[in-house]
Amino acid sequence: MKGTVLVVLALILALLVLSSVFVVDEGQQAIKTRFGEPIGAPITEPGLKWKVPLVDRLYVLEKRFLEWDGRVTNMQTREKQPILVDTYARWRILDPLLFFQRLRTEVQAQARLDGILNGEVRDAVARYDLAELIRTSDREPVQDAVLDSADKLEEIAHGREVIRQEILKNASQRVRQADLGIELLDVQFKRINYVDAVRDSVYQRMIAERNRIADRFRSEGQAEAARIRGTKERELQSIQSEAFRLAQEIIGKADAEATEIYARAYDQSADSRAFYAFLKSMETYGETFDAETWLVLSTSGEFYRYLNGAR
Amino acid sequence: MARERPFEVREFQPPKGLGRMIGIGLVALVALFLILGSFYQVEPEEVGVVLRLGVYTGDTAGPGLHYKIPFVDRVYKVPIQRQLTEELGFRTPGLPVRLEVARQDPKDESSMLTGDLNAATVEWVVQYRIVDPYKYLFRVRNVELTFRDMGEAVMREVVGDRTVNEVITVGRQEITQVAFQKLQELCDHYETGIQVDQVVLQDVTPPEPVKPAFNAVNQAEQEREKLINEAQSEYNQVVPRARGEAEQTVLAAEGYALERVNRARGEAARFSSVYEEYRKAPEVTRRRIYLETLGAILPKTGRKVVVDDAVRGLLPLLNLDAGRAAPPVRPAPPEGGGP
Repeated sequence: MKGTVLVVLALILALLVLSSVFVVDEGQQAIKTRFGEPIGAPITEPGLKWKVPLVDRLYVLEKRFLEWDGRVTNMQTREKQPILVDTYARWRILDPLLFFQRLRTEVQAQARLDGILNGEVRDAVARYDLAELIRTSDREPVQDAVLDSADKLEEIAHGREVIRQEILKNASQRVRQADLGIELLDVQFKRINYVDAVRDSVYQRMIAERNRIADRFRSEGQAEAARIRGTKERELQSIQSEAFRLAQEIIGKADAEATEIYARAYDQSADSRAFYAFLKSMETYGETFDAETWLVLSTSGEFYRYLNGAR
Repeated sequence: MARERPFEVREFQPPKGLGRMIGIGLVALVALFLILGSFYQVEPEEVGVVLRLGVYTGDTAGPGLHYKIPFVDRVYKVPIQRQLTEELGFRTPGLPVRLEVARQDPKDESSMLTGDLNAATVEWVVQYRIVDPYKYLFRVRNVELTFRDMGEAVMREVVGDRTVNEVITVGRQEITQVAFQKLQELCDHYETGIQVDQVVLQDVTPPEPVKPAFNAVNQAEQEREKLINEAQSEYNQVVPRARGEAEQTVLAAEGYALERVNRARGEAARFSSVYEEYRKAPEVTRRRIYLETLGAILPKTGRKVVVDDAVRGLLPLLNLDAGRAAPPVRPAPPEGGGP
């Protein structure tokens, strides 16, 4: 009997000890409350902690950076362009006591952040043109050598990063002013997209632009081909006419030389001229007479005169 | 009912010693659990981060079997040696993904706006390693999802600062570099303990409805090359040949010139020689040449008519072409002329 009592006592003691000891892990912090009221300084360091069993309660909170994921929201830019904006933020519980008093749970905190961040993002989007929200810098775009593109990026005055910092600054300020015990680490535009209706017209614009490039390629090809054909014609004409000219010059020179040679030989004297005429005629007779030729000769001529008797 | 019970209980009372056996069994079980809970194994690519009563002791356990104090030590295993990848904008089929990632439509991740306010579809992979397990575990909650969010934000920022042409073709290399840098900066800023190894662009394409138009540009480009090549080959076929032909013409002319001059020289020389001799005996030479010529040509000529000056009126009687022009079977042409 005595042993049983001892065992029960030991068990109760063990339970008491166990329920008065708790462990706060790395990445966690905690608030101790007594009858619902926070007591003592918040526990921000990990380790073994004590509490009064049954009386004290413990609220363990995150010390790590926590996610805030905004819903995809339809917003309007300054130029009244409707866009879908998806943002995310990272935040953490900076003052657990304040957090516990104001918000108590993470869900509450998320709801408050929804209000602040959505509002700030919407305000910022409404203040700027779409290009300012998409672009970051005024860099010169690299051109596509194949397309021979001349792409221009619209000039911007602020840019995505500046706007983002502005949102972060304003939202942080509002979070601070609201005294929620939380701190914003960062806000980012995760996604910015056209709404469906606009997207189609953007696609049409892109298609038209590509068609323009394709048309240019085709006409460039035709132009270049025509140029090559034209060059070919010109080359041909120039080559052929040049050859003709050269040939004629050579022929002419040769003819002139031959003429000169003939003249020098035949034109020695009146006698030589007559002899040439005679010789050439004789030669020509020999070359031109053939079987078709009728030769009517007079007996008074040189050759047949002897037919009538040798006078 | 209650009264009847004691009888039954008494009847079924367990044999003595069973309670002791149960006690021993319980103690053995507890001991077993304690022993099992005292050891943990770290895989080769992992490191074990030990929290003692919630506090990070600074000790990490390398691969192998290690001892820990049950209920006091807690071990988190972090695969620091493994190269981890996140696929953004697409999913490789069969690769395991977290539930939150599986719920996301990859198309939402991949569609983005370019700096010239066009749309593009970008798929990419981020390879990274955990270099600081402590930060990785205890500084940011849901690090992997945070990392994906960061990846998307960074890629959109980079793509948003470039033209659609840069994104799809010329700027790919640069985009991965800039995205890599910015992502690493953001990782450090968030204290994720992550080191980015590489950002790799996969398929970067125009949106689906615009694709045919982009392909048409490629086609047109090839068409342009084809047209130019055809014209060029035509040129190459014709012009060199024309050059050759031109050379031929000139050479032929040169040949003619040579022949012409040589002939002239030859003939002139021959004439001069003959003339030289002729001058010595002009009369007889002349006659000789005349008679020789006649002698040579007379045999070649078809008909020879020798007319005596004394005989008149012979010529009109001759039907000059009769024997030649009219075939025997055909009637002679009315005028008797040749065809």
